[in-house]
Amino acid sequence: MSDLSEAAAALGIPEALVERSAAARAAETGASVDEVLAAWAAGGDVPASVPSETPPAPTETSDAEEATEGPAPDAGAPAEETATSPPAAEESPPPAEKVVTPGPAEAPTTVSGKPPVLVGEADNPIGVLVGSVALFVAIFLVGLVGPALPAENPGARTSDLPFSEAAVRGQEIYQSVGCASCHTQMIRPVVADVDLGAVTFNDSNQVLGTRRFGPDLSNVGARVSGSQIEALVTGLGDHPSIALAPDDLAALVAYLLESRTLEGGAAAGNAGGEEPAAEEPAES
Amino acid sequence: MLPPSRFATREPLAATQTADTRALLGSASDGDRIVSAHFLAGALFLILAGGFELLALFSLRFGGLSPVSYGRMESMANITVMLGFLVMSLTGGIYYVLPRLTGTRLWRRDLAFVGMLAMSGLVLVDLLAVVLGLGGGRQPFGLPWWLHIPMLAVLTIPFVVTVMTIRRREETRSFVTLWFVIGGVTWLPLLYLMYFAGDLPFVSSLAETYSDLFFSAGFVTLWVFVVGSGLFYYTVVKELEIPLASRQLAAVGFWSLGFAGAWWGTAQLVFGPGPGWIDGVSAALGLALPIGALANASNVSLTLQGHWERLSDKPGVVSGVIGLYLGVTVAILASFASFPSVGSVTALTAYWEAIEYGALFGVGVLLVAGIAFEAMPRVSGRDLSSLDRPRSFNRWTVIGAGGVMISLVAAGLVSGFSWVAGSNSASYVDAGDGWAAGAGASDVLLLFAVGFGVIAFLGQLAYAATVIGTLTIGRAVPQEILVYGSDGTQGTWEVTVEGRDDE
Repeated sequence: MSDLSEAAAALGIPEALVERSAAARAAETGASVDEVLAAWAAGGDVPASVPSETPPAPTETSDAEEATEGPAPDAGAPAEETATSPPAAEESPPPAEKVVTPGPAEAPTTVSGKPPVLVGEADNPIGVLVGSVALFVAIFLVGLVGPALPAENPGARTSDLPFSEAAVRGQEIYQSVGCASCHTQMIRPVVADVDLGAVTFNDSNQVLGTRRFGPDLSNVGARVSGSQIEALVTGLGDHPSIALAPDDLAALVAYLLESRTLEGGAAAGNAGGEEPAAEEPAES
Repeated sequence: MLPPSRFATREPLAATQTADTRALLGSASDGDRIVSAHFLAGALFLILAGGFELLALFSLRFGGLSPVSYGRMESMANITVMLGFLVMSLTGGIYYVLPRLTGTRLWRRDLAFVGMLAMSGLVLVDLLAVVLGLGGGRQPFGLPWWLHIPMLAVLTIPFVVTVMTIRRREETRSFVTLWFVIGGVTWLPLLYLMYFAGDLPFVSSLAETYSDLFFSAGFVTLWVFVVGSGLFYYTVVKELEIPLASRQLAAVGFWSLGFAGAWWGTAQLVFGPGPGWIDGVSAALGLALPIGALANASNVSLTLQGHWERLSDKPGVVSGVIGLYLGVTVAILASFASFPSVGSVTALTAYWEAIEYGALFGVGVLLVAGIAFEAMPRVSGRDLSSLDRPRSFNRWTVIGAGGVMISLVAAGLVSGFSWVAGSNSASYVDAGDGWAAGAGASDVLLLFAVGFGVIAFLGQLAYAATVIGTLTIGRAVPQEILVYGSDGTQGTWEVTVEGRDDE
């Protein structure tokens, strides 16, 4: 049996661990690995040097003294807030010292009887788990399901207009490219959205978006032509150039041209690819 | 009568043992190696996330010059910072505290390790999907629907490991951190499930948008704020060995954050196509957010009363304290803008981008640092490679992330007021000129945001350098090794010793 095996057997530690520990000890003491292993196998030890850079270990006394500066204990949380006090008299105090397992060297394997600061009251964490789930379900129902439900008697659904096949594909491209990160397709009944078009209803089939770093595109087809949209998408002005295959670009343009909140609005305005008279496309 | 604690606090180790302790780093598959691996992977993803976010800010200001659109870059930044960094690192923090608070081994450490590898791989696949244009475009990640399934499975791993570990606990008394951990690991997969549900074919566009906002806001509140605050409670009490000021205040903080949930997400669609009542409900319930954030920040401050001078050599604790108070700022901004009267100006503008940036790259990064900087020496046996780097991290993150937040808040307000003013003036034509006037006025502020973003990125590099440096060149220090009894029976003590791990 080698020294390594004998040391591992003597210490009750896996060989790989003993080998690494021996190498580290040898490097620190200047002895060879074999010498260290032989010493451990024989139940002995190797003199160890103290690394100069190792800071002195803090003492319990200083920690305890500092701990006394903490807030006064609160009756509601006695264990947690009595770090400087020994456990209550009726409690069974933890053992002052408990030998655990000797290490490969002269490890001071003792356990402190210091009063714990990281425990609280006895409780049932499952209660927290159940409460968390219940709270989430409540928030989910009120905050997500509730507002997403269709309203009763919605009246005219001018935003729920059918798209052509090309436009449906274009909507997917609109989403995958990330257009909705900068553009909304949502017109609100607020002054900032005056003249954008008809207000968006909750059954909108457009991509609503949540940021408006670029203009709203709910009715973009009523304002600009297909060629202008194509120029913007490929990098006109400050708009980033989006690299798209010709078919994808055509589909995206079709989607934007068909994006409208009033029946016939955009399509009629751009029938035959006419340029809209109202304005030049804004930089985007 | 309270039962006796079976938890023993850390015992300083003998200086002569450091070399052996350092050698133990490569020992058996103990839970603390998994903790280190999580922190390391998180740090690497933070570098990526910081770079992506900087490019996103650049493309927001200089759209014509950016090779990649803001939409895709923002999705990539969100994937890396939220999943790659914040989920990864906070999960590492959870695996760090669980054995120490329950007195039992982490359940299925192999599963936890596989979860880390799977998350790392999935984040890379997600990035690839967005780059290749395979994504569905839904914020914040823009992923195709089929990638949500493995991600949901991976996000349930921390929940399973946590619950099973707690079920086997030896310590019957709960430190407050356990509440926050349980809440966080429960809410995260539920949130993601709701996000995934937005991709179902019968879900309307409105419901899909609410789902996106619900997840984004919920992730910040129910994961970053909740888990980050909870783990920091542990860090403060453990590092300084002082008692927590108030268990009750921690309960207020926990449940208020849970209650605040995702309301500030739905509030972003104020006056939108949703029902009118949700605007009022969001504003009212959103008030719980600053209450929760403030409760946690003040509880930590009360705990530290009389001990502030001891933080000079504990940069991690400083990071966490700053993070908590930045969290209060973010919470107040979000709650404030949830009121319909304010929302009519701030909705859809860069104001909300500021809140998300501040929460993820400010609060999130600082809280993770608050835990990681203090935990890593204990789990790795190596001291922080430098005290200057963490201090630089704190400085640059406060200036950088704070500066980006202020710039974007100002840009949002300028845009919002410009839109409103333009709408009321004769010069207003329609959406084209209306938005352009607002955007143009905020251009210089977006430029400031890019500049501050560079400083924040330096801070993120400093964080990663600290974590990586600690694991590679950190000076050997006593390592905290948990030893369990072979039978795991009642009365087994979780102790800090040196010299061996009985696994």
